[in-house]
Amino acid sequence: MNTRYSDNRPLPLRILALLGKILILGSASIFTAFPFIWMIVSSLKTKADILNTDIFFPTEPQWNNITSILFNSPIPRYIFNSAWVSLVIVALQIISGAMLAYALVFLKFRTNKILFAVVMATYMLPVAATYIPSYIILADWKMLDSFRGLIISSTVSIFGIFLLRQGFMQIPKGLVEAARMDGASHWRALWEVVAPMTKASFITFGLMNFISTYNNYMWPSLITKSSEYFLVSQGLRAFFIRDGAYGTEWALVMAASAVVVVPLLVLFAFTQKWFINGIGGETGIKG
Amino acid sequence: MAKPKRKYKRRYDNTATVLLFILPALIPLIVFWIYPILRTIWLSFTNWDYISPTYKIVGLKNYLSLLRNPRFYEALGHTVVFTAGTLFPSIILGLILALLLVKNFRGSGILKFILFSPWITPTVAISIVWSWIFKVDGGIANTILTALNMSPLKWINSSDTAMMSVIIVTVWKSLGYCMIFYLSALERVPGELYEAGALDGAYGWRQFVDITLPSISPTTFFLMIITMVNSLQAYDQIQVLTQGGPSGSTRTLLYMYYQLGFNEFNMGQATAVAVVMILLTVGLSVIQFKVSEKWVYY
Repeated sequence: MNTRYSDNRPLPLRILALLGKILILGSASIFTAFPFIWMIVSSLKTKADILNTDIFFPTEPQWNNITSILFNSPIPRYIFNSAWVSLVIVALQIISGAMLAYALVFLKFRTNKILFAVVMATYMLPVAATYIPSYIILADWKMLDSFRGLIISSTVSIFGIFLLRQGFMQIPKGLVEAARMDGASHWRALWEVVAPMTKASFITFGLMNFISTYNNYMWPSLITKSSEYFLVSQGLRAFFIRDGAYGTEWALVMAASAVVVVPLLVLFAFTQKWFINGIGGETGIKG
Repeated sequence: MAKPKRKYKRRYDNTATVLLFILPALIPLIVFWIYPILRTIWLSFTNWDYISPTYKIVGLKNYLSLLRNPRFYEALGHTVVFTAGTLFPSIILGLILALLLVKNFRGSGILKFILFSPWITPTVAISIVWSWIFKVDGGIANTILTALNMSPLKWINSSDTAMMSVIIVTVWKSLGYCMIFYLSALERVPGELYEAGALDGAYGWRQFVDITLPSISPTTFFLMIITMVNSLQAYDQIQVLTQGGPSGSTRTLLYMYYQLGFNEFNMGQATAVAVVMILLTVGLSVIQFKVSEKWVYY
């Protein structure tokens, strides 16, 4: 164990522990990074390279695999769909979530606790159990196979409500009361007093829900059938199995996956701390 | 809670204001969460087939035929295997990695980045990559096995190994997630606990068992519930890698629900499976809460 106050062990044991640590971390990192690396090197291979299992790196990088995905395939369209649907959904989720969390923490009303219990109860339930009736609702509203349907069925994030509520509870009630005394409406108190103080929760909420909406597969694939409305996951899968070409164009399929995945990895590289603090930090859980 | 001494001052906020603040979330919550759950329970007592406009109430018939259906027990069994198979490796490996990374060192940031990155990438994209890795002829997994002098496997193409393959992909994805939770839990263990333990001679393994494990038990508890709920709902990797096959060997309850509802339009049976999933989730949470009273130290 490599925890604090344990470094009074004999030297050979410490060297052994260090080697073990390097071995475990090294193999875990290789195991984790390998599919990404394999995806990228495969995306630059020719058909002949792909079939030759003895070579790891492409004999000559086929950049036209990437350019044909970027300029000559529906993949960029799916990326655009995913990005803009997710932006709209997350914006709505932030507004509705912040208002409900504000009500739960700062407003006094008779059903406050019942409301929280209801929200709490839905948190754990398997969302898939709602899909058949939700599908019927969207069908009745003539909203299947449309961006509107995708958006309207996802305007609330229960996870987000929890995250914001957790953040809001750290704010002294007196601050909001003082703002109210000065004549601020609840609306202004929320966005001008509470929100700036809980910026971290908002950023974490936005990023996490953006990523999960962007990547979402099951629900969008049930309600959209025309490729013009596909989000990336459904689009990629359609690209993967198109024309019964299942597994014949591996280099192109890998290039398509790379075009989808690499920008997300770059986004994550710049926003890593918000995910990590948001997930693991005080906002995540509390006994 | 209002402080008792100020109780006389407690008054309710204007109803219109309250409604204005809760309705933007509450209406969608009712329309797309609460009503659908109740509707699902109701449909599970009917014989609706989605196409016909009318349906009959058939009582417990859907549940009884589920209980007589060997496919249901198979799916239940696969769900248990899949859940256990992802839960324990993810949590144990996640904890080991967190223990090794909790003290910062040169390069620890990049390791955390690598280990967590699968969680933010689309499961579909990465499952496509894995299906290429798992390819029987010319897949890199079998190339590596052969190089190590082991016999190649049929991975997702055989009912013996398909579940294991799906579990590998799922553990690959959730490992970093568990690690991040444990990292912050480990950082929050008060240093005094270790100092006090050191006075009592608690080092190394004893220190880990007596101090670290109890201190992080709320996180373990939380991760167990979250991983179970996620496993119960796993769909993306199954749909891309195996579609529940070969010969139903990766068909979990959720996948059975999907096939019954959205391929066969047997809504009565499908919603009955959904209700079983709801009951399982609720049951698991209740059991977890009960058990956790014994070993979780808040």
